[in-house]
Amino acid sequence: MTNPVTKDRRHFEDLAIGEVIDLGRITVSKAMITTFATEFDPFPFHLDETAAKASLLGGLAASGWQTGGLGLRMLVDSFLSTIASAGGLGFSDLKWKNPVMVNDTIGGTVTIVDLRRSGSHPQWGIVTLEFDMRNQKGASVLSMRLANLVDTRTPGAGT
Amino acid sequence: MTRWFEDIIIDEVFVLGSHTFDADEIVRFATLYDPQYFHLDAEAAKHSHFGGLVASGWHTVSVGHRLMVDTLFAEEERLRAMGLEPGVSGPSPGVNSMDFKVPVRPGDTVSYELVVTDKRPSNSIPGWGLLFNKLTALNQHGELVYRANLVGFSKLRDYQMPLKLKIMLALSNLPVLGPLLKRRA
Repeated sequence: MTNPVTKDRRHFEDLAIGEVIDLGRITVSKAMITTFATEFDPFPFHLDETAAKASLLGGLAASGWQTGGLGLRMLVDSFLSTIASAGGLGFSDLKWKNPVMVNDTIGGTVTIVDLRRSGSHPQWGIVTLEFDMRNQKGASVLSMRLANLVDTRTPGAGT
Repeated sequence: MTRWFEDIIIDEVFVLGSHTFDADEIVRFATLYDPQYFHLDAEAAKHSHFGGLVASGWHTVSVGHRLMVDTLFAEEERLRAMGLEPGVSGPSPGVNSMDFKVPVRPGDTVSYELVVTDKRPSNSIPGWGLLFNKLTALNQHGELVYRANLVGFSKLRDYQMPLKLKIMLALSNLPVLGPLLKRRA
């Protein structure tokens, strides 16, 4: 039952509460913002500079779903693709405190805040990850708690 | 929705529509935003507990958001056609919870529905209200794909800005005083 894709990756037992993952940084261009918005979030404040200036956002800004998607991408590259991830369970307390404007550079950290074995599925553990994403001025652009399944090396062995 | 805050009815159900996911778009989204092997590579995905390619949860949520925006635009058109002035939808301050249940596979059709469960005027942004929305996504078998508790902004029609705030705003636009006031706020 060994998964050849993930057998050499870190498993649930190899993770520790308090581990901090550096997401790195990405600069968000106008083309990135309008491409995502055209497909998934075509509100005028994500597509048109004039309309955006008159909106609550005060200028052309990325869809919050794109900000989250970019954070997820950075988490996959820095962490989820290095562990035996079995998919996301969901998230809570997602806050978009400040919009991501054209040419903002965003990045940040993700911290492991909880690890527990699944009660119903002994082959899995659940890792809870706290996102803290900020722009180049240090202002928060996204925070949330993400719950992700990770394969255990020894099912049902306790924590 | 694209109604004034005052006109939004609690517990009214909005059918947002549905979307059929194909393998190409699942891989295209995952390549950009969630490049885990079970979202990316149908062969490698067979080794996962999913047993095959599945869409990123972030993808199914983004499609649900698109259908919600389309529904808002259609409502706006409908109100204009009736000779009414539509309200204004703002951006979202956040999501209280999102639970992914059954995965979405190529060929699955997901149907989305939204209910406004509560609303209140915003404490931090004068003239705007907060809407608390529950979104449910079901596949073609009626299985729950995800459910979410979302928060959105909607503009108040009947808002009268208090005189004190009007004076503050006027002063904050002055060249010298403005930056000082903003720093204090």
